[in-house]
Amino acid sequence: MNTTSATEPNIAMVLIARPARLIWLLLRQALWRMPMLIIISLVVFVILRGIPVDPLNMLVPPNASSADIARLSHQLGLDRPVLVQYGYWLLAALHGDFGISIQTGTAVTAMILEALPTTLQLLGAGFAAGLVMGLGSGLLSFHLRGTRFEPAIMTLNGIMIAIPDYLWAIVLIISLGVGLQWLPFVGPIDAALQVRKLTGFTLLDSLLSGNAAAFASVVSHLALPALALGLCVATPIARMLHASLAEVYHEDYIHAARLRGVAEKPLLLRHALRNAALPTIALIGVQASVIIGGTLLIETIFGLPGIGALMLRALGAFDMQTIQALAVVYAITVQIVNLVISWALQRINPRLRSSP
Amino acid sequence: MFERLNAVEPPDMHIIETPFKASNAHPLAALTATPDRAPVLTLESVSVTARTSGADSVVLRDLSLTLAAGKTLGLVGESGAGKSMLGRILSRQLPEGFKVTSGTVDFAGQDLLQVSTEQHRQWLGTRIAFIPQEPMSALNPLMTIGQQMTEHLLRIGVGALECPERAILALEQVRLPRAAAILQQYPYELSGGMCQRVMIAMAFASLPALVISDEATTALDVSSQAHIISLLRGLQEQHGTAVLFVTHDMGLATHACDDVAVLYAGEIMETGPASRLFSAMRHPYTQALRQAIPEMTGPLIRLKPLAGQMPGVESFPDLGGCRFETRCQYAVELCKQRPPILQSLPDGQSVRCSRWAQIDLSAITPDVLGEHTPGQAMSGLQILQIKGLSRTWPGQRSWFGRKPGVEALKPLDLSVAPGEFIGIVGGSGSGKSTLARLIMGLEQPSSGTLILNDQALNFGEKDWRRRISSIQMIFQDARAALNPKRRVGRLLTQAMESHAHLHSERSARAIELAANVGLARSAIERYPTQLSGGQRQRVNIGRSLCDMPQILIADEIVSGLDVSVQAQIMNLLLDLRKEHKFSLLLISHDLAVVRYLCSRVLVLHQGEVVESGDTEQVLSNPRHPYTQALIASVPPTRSDAVWRAATPSDH
Amino acid sequence: MSIRLPSSLWRRLMRKRSFCLSAGFLLLLALVAVLAPMLAPHAPNDQNLLEVLLPPFWADGGSLDYPLGTDGLGQCVLSRLLYGTRIVVVIAITAPVGAALLGCVLALLGGYHSGWLNWAIDRFVDIWLSFPSVLLALILMVALSPGLQNVILAIIFVDWARFCRVIKAEVLVIRRREYVAAARISGASIYGVIKREVLPGIVPSLIALMALEISIAVVAESVLSFAGMSVGPGTPTWGAMISDGLGSMYSSPYPLLLPVLMMILTVLAATFLGQGLSEATDVRALERSGAA
Repeated sequence: MNTTSATEPNIAMVLIARPARLIWLLLRQALWRMPMLIIISLVVFVILRGIPVDPLNMLVPPNASSADIARLSHQLGLDRPVLVQYGYWLLAALHGDFGISIQTGTAVTAMILEALPTTLQLLGAGFAAGLVMGLGSGLLSFHLRGTRFEPAIMTLNGIMIAIPDYLWAIVLIISLGVGLQWLPFVGPIDAALQVRKLTGFTLLDSLLSGNAAAFASVVSHLALPALALGLCVATPIARMLHASLAEVYHEDYIHAARLRGVAEKPLLLRHALRNAALPTIALIGVQASVIIGGTLLIETIFGLPGIGALMLRALGAFDMQTIQALAVVYAITVQIVNLVISWALQRINPRLRSSP
Repeated sequence: MFERLNAVEPPDMHIIETPFKASNAHPLAALTATPDRAPVLTLESVSVTARTSGADSVVLRDLSLTLAAGKTLGLVGESGAGKSMLGRILSRQLPEGFKVTSGTVDFAGQDLLQVSTEQHRQWLGTRIAFIPQEPMSALNPLMTIGQQMTEHLLRIGVGALECPERAILALEQVRLPRAAAILQQYPYELSGGMCQRVMIAMAFASLPALVISDEATTALDVSSQAHIISLLRGLQEQHGTAVLFVTHDMGLATHACDDVAVLYAGEIMETGPASRLFSAMRHPYTQALRQAIPEMTGPLIRLKPLAGQMPGVESFPDLGGCRFETRCQYAVELCKQRPPILQSLPDGQSVRCSRWAQIDLSAITPDVLGEHTPGQAMSGLQILQIKGLSRTWPGQRSWFGRKPGVEALKPLDLSVAPGEFIGIVGGSGSGKSTLARLIMGLEQPSSGTLILNDQALNFGEKDWRRRISSIQMIFQDARAALNPKRRVGRLLTQAMESHAHLHSERSARAIELAANVGLARSAIERYPTQLSGGQRQRVNIGRSLCDMPQILIADEIVSGLDVSVQAQIMNLLLDLRKEHKFSLLLISHDLAVVRYLCSRVLVLHQGEVVESGDTEQVLSNPRHPYTQALIASVPPTRSDAVWRAATPSDH
Repeated sequence: MSIRLPSSLWRRLMRKRSFCLSAGFLLLLALVAVLAPMLAPHAPNDQNLLEVLLPPFWADGGSLDYPLGTDGLGQCVLSRLLYGTRIVVVIAITAPVGAALLGCVLALLGGYHSGWLNWAIDRFVDIWLSFPSVLLALILMVALSPGLQNVILAIIFVDWARFCRVIKAEVLVIRRREYVAAARISGASIYGVIKREVLPGIVPSLIALMALEISIAVVAESVLSFAGMSVGPGTPTWGAMISDGLGSMYSSPYPLLLPVLMMILTVLAATFLGQGLSEATDVRALERSGAA
């Protein structure tokens, strides 16, 4: 037995260490993402210094003297080196202060907090719709493998995967909105209805206030934008799931399980699906930034008052403070999605849990 | 041991004609179906046909076998012989386009080919169990051993409450220590040998009537191979299980099996008791195999490799006669015309050769083949001196600096004389490949110096040039070492690319090198993927010879090859040595290969040289316990020798 | 692309109908872009306020004067579509080449420099890929002034990271191959190894990525146009047409529908081109067919 004992880890240690290790890994991942956020904000900060419009010209009255301008410039710290300016900005930002919007004159943080729930709600609904559609069609196409439906589904998927989110939005508006008039496509809720603001999430608020009509209206208004976003989540998932299931079915352990007489259904559900889910979930992580970027235009097209619409307005008005702050918010959102993804991957794959 | 048992009697009297179909008395029936041992598996004239691009090709022809309870039947053959096909028939996993076109497969009184799919699935894992080739990848990586054991136990009808207890019991039966802890672990946390024990535990959990082991020990270290075999033998004896043992390793088959069937190109060429097959063989193919296998003991005999290679499935339809005829030294015109039938002989053997009675296999004896000496030093010079060479992998970074590193290779001294062939032996993780890469300069050593031709070898550009012009490496996996997008001619003369050469000069050298390593001239214009494994290895060797190096480093260059091809390559190296007088550092896990080629051997274990010296002396009188264990774990080719490592009493 | 394709590859490609159709469509697009001034019935910015939102000629009230109708400002939709092709074609050629060059150079640098440079390149790729590229491009366009050059720069600046990540992974895989070690001990220099062993190995991925980048870049430009931050108001683009069309959607869907249709066709053509090329150059598939 001398050949085997050397490679065995101490089992008691392994058992105790597992949960503690998982928490530590997640914490470390979160910490590791902080420098990335700082670099992103720095890159955006430096880019925004290149704006051809001088922000001072917007702040001072037309008759201000050059001395006034210089004084204001000094006050705002605009005469100092870029890195020092960035340092001041970062310090304030860490305290939750993103400055004043030159566009509206209100605090940027308040504007963002006002708009953020709409975006998160859209993102949540889009991801949920996308996951259901993607997993469903991926499994269906794999189930139909070998039949003539499989290539048909895959070709359709190949066409759909190429169409970007904002074109989906327009296609859906033209077909289901304007053409068939099935679903509304302007604004977050019917103009005649009102929801008392509790959490900012209109779905939740309408439920909490027991307003069924408002809830139905919110759902129907959310349907098309969520579908547009969801289609962009679903198509790559379906493709990846189909491909990785096909690949997993060539693996030795599937073959070995079949040779032990495991029936097809448990073979798929217990052995193949979890393994095939790994690359599929990882793909969602890779796509996260694309999907979150997609909300930008979808909000604008559907007239949803989220941070995407806010961002486009700020871009049009050269509203540096708002642009800068929103860029950070988007970056954080992507990082959180990625954190969830890596947590999910670690849940499924024991190897990721125990690797040092 | 090469004597023929029935040489005095006229052979014709003992031939029992077996027609292709409709015969109850098939060749092995008399041998294995003794009254107390009822046959578990009986195959009768089974043929498998594959739909290839052209005509249909009979991949498996006229296969008849009987396997009795408690017996092990070995199915041996080189790659492409069709030995995995039987397992695929039994598991109904034939590749697409393959079909059983005739014959019956009787499993415990029922025709396995006729039962319903659902019935067949019910039998799998309960009455018929499989032990896979790659134990590490045959277990689901995302499930613990316990979860997978439980799934299987539930399926074979064990109650949910009993499962944990039964799982532990099953693991203890395969001699896994701390079974309860192992149930909580994932496959990647176990070694290959441990995973294989888990697979065996699952296979025997339902006490099946038949266990099929398809190259179950090929992926394991030699030392665990012996343990697995003895375990398998023990469980089989205990439960009276019939085992079908598929392997490419003839030596292993003679010790692991009761009976052996030798397959070639989809046909059984010879069957018989394992103990007699290699001592009293009747078929020219069996004889050729025997002559191609290097031995661990006895006089060193020059191997006699079979020329050419086994015909592929595509060419089966064109073979009207005996499928071995093209490579057979005894073939006559008759062999081309009519496929021979499997004739059973009264002593229990059977042979598929129409000329077996006429040819005298005993004519080829050791003295005819000639003695042979491995590569010895040609002078007392030291072309390469290695002093204190070591490699330590840096440890992982942690909060408090680095953890201690892993010593892949502890300081090592070695000197190489012209023409000397030195074997470097060790298991996986022994540091033998690291040593090869360090000498070649593909990795930086942590300490130590190399002295090449009395001049220290450093790491500048000039020293690199000096190094590669004197030392060359033949890589392990010829397929990976040859750029698939370049032609053989360019690959052979790759070394000429760093200098300006006339095109004609380069082509001439390519032709020369191809001839040197025994490649046809037409191969020069081909791509590596169009060559066979043996041919690719020849290109690999030819390339390393292009600049006429003094020293060749060969990393496991024959381990992936079939025995007959392995013998070709080994003889090629010896012949090239005579011509070019190079030295060779042969990295290998195969002691017999090292004995055949090398005059000196170094045994590495966990990065350290545990023993070194004259090959014959080390092998016949090993001093270090690791060397002793390593030698004991190799199954002796001679069937009358005892394989001690695999005898259960050792545990 | 001056990549020499073996003749067998061409044959395989030409047998694929989707590849032929999409390549044909893209070539037609390029031709239209060159000939736009000759083909367009009107100047793209000519406004005819008397005939706003005319339907195409086949619909009721359409006229052959404006074959595909007019938009909300009375501009000829067909002419604007034709001129819009020019931006699409320029972007579709320059952006993939630029992003591929930048990405490949950084990938090779990273792949062959195992120290801090490799680390830094890896981190930058991570950061770039974790930030919505649409957003980065928009922010860049705010800082730069509108114009075709700047749009191209912005797209390259945003999209190099995808090339870098994929190509670098390939470089690392190929570097670890035994045939690269074999080339090194045959005396090849680093540049020799890159030229003869590494670059041929990354060509299939590179082709596939560049084809993918065509559609990504075209979409990115249209998004920038849609947001009004692309080549500037004087130049007609499909994205700007879509943005304008949304406003007059109720009165006439055609000014919206037609550019959307063109976008979708272009993106599909580029995608199928890429799929065809990567399937045809997939080494694993080739080896499988060779081994069988």
